[in-house]
Amino acid sequence: MTNDEQPPGDAVSPEGGGTSDELSCEEAARNVFEYLDGELPPDRSEKVHRHVEMCRRCYPYFNFERAFLDYVHDRGMRPARSAELEERLNRLLKDLEDRER
Amino acid sequence: MSAKHREFESEALVHMDVLYGLALRFTGGDDAAAQDLVQDTLLKAYRAWDKFESGTNCRAWLTTILRNTFINDLRRRQARPAPVEYDEVAERSVYPQLHEEDAEGGFFDRIVDQEVIRAIEELPEDFRVPLVLADLEGIGYQEISELLEIPVGTVKSRLFRARRRLQQRLYRYAVEMGYIR
Repeated sequence: MTNDEQPPGDAVSPEGGGTSDELSCEEAARNVFEYLDGELPPDRSEKVHRHVEMCRRCYPYFNFERAFLDYVHDRGMRPARSAELEERLNRLLKDLEDRER
Repeated sequence: MSAKHREFESEALVHMDVLYGLALRFTGGDDAAAQDLVQDTLLKAYRAWDKFESGTNCRAWLTTILRNTFINDLRRRQARPAPVEYDEVAERSVYPQLHEEDAEGGFFDRIVDQEVIRAIEELPEDFRVPLVLADLEGIGYQEISELLEIPVGTVKSRLFRARRRLQQRLYRYAVEMGYIR
């Protein structure tokens, strides 16, 4: 296991991981996005899940990253409005319709 | 007005704002390019309208056309892609810096929408496009890899870096605004 002072989240590479049965905090943190994206192989995902559920440092960290991803999705999909585009499309469609007559 | 035209208006044109928003994210906030992209998308949809099954998800159909149109164009432009600069410092989670103050990431919600959108749109294209595909559109790594013709490992690392950059930027903004210390 790793030291207790540092919170997880310092991993700089998404690659790698150990082979033993118990994951360290670093190993779990390295898989954080793949885990949250549902992209880990089932056995690896299960290992991460088991670690995070029982770890008082990783549990809030994983929740934090999940909140971040949800937030990016919600805000990022915000529609945008353009009167110029609307006018342009209306003109285009009118032309198309005229040509099809 | 023809029946086709009426139908197209009520089923497809109503999604214009969603398409334009997505187009802006894809093009990095380039208004002219985003407008062209929406126009190309709707033009293709109009021409293929008899292939669209009324009652099925028109928005999903249109966003797929938009995505494919953008990516085809991207591939043409990126025949010789510029190398991406890697900045290790910007690629850490902000969590260690604020876990004592805001472990649940409540500060994100205080950031105005426009700032988030600007932060996404200003990411370098190589990072922005995988992020838009994965985090906005919810597309999986394998499909992104096929769409962008890059290995899954590259999708993973670009997405990782895109998210870290975005998070760091929003964190700096929140500190500047006094939302967090």
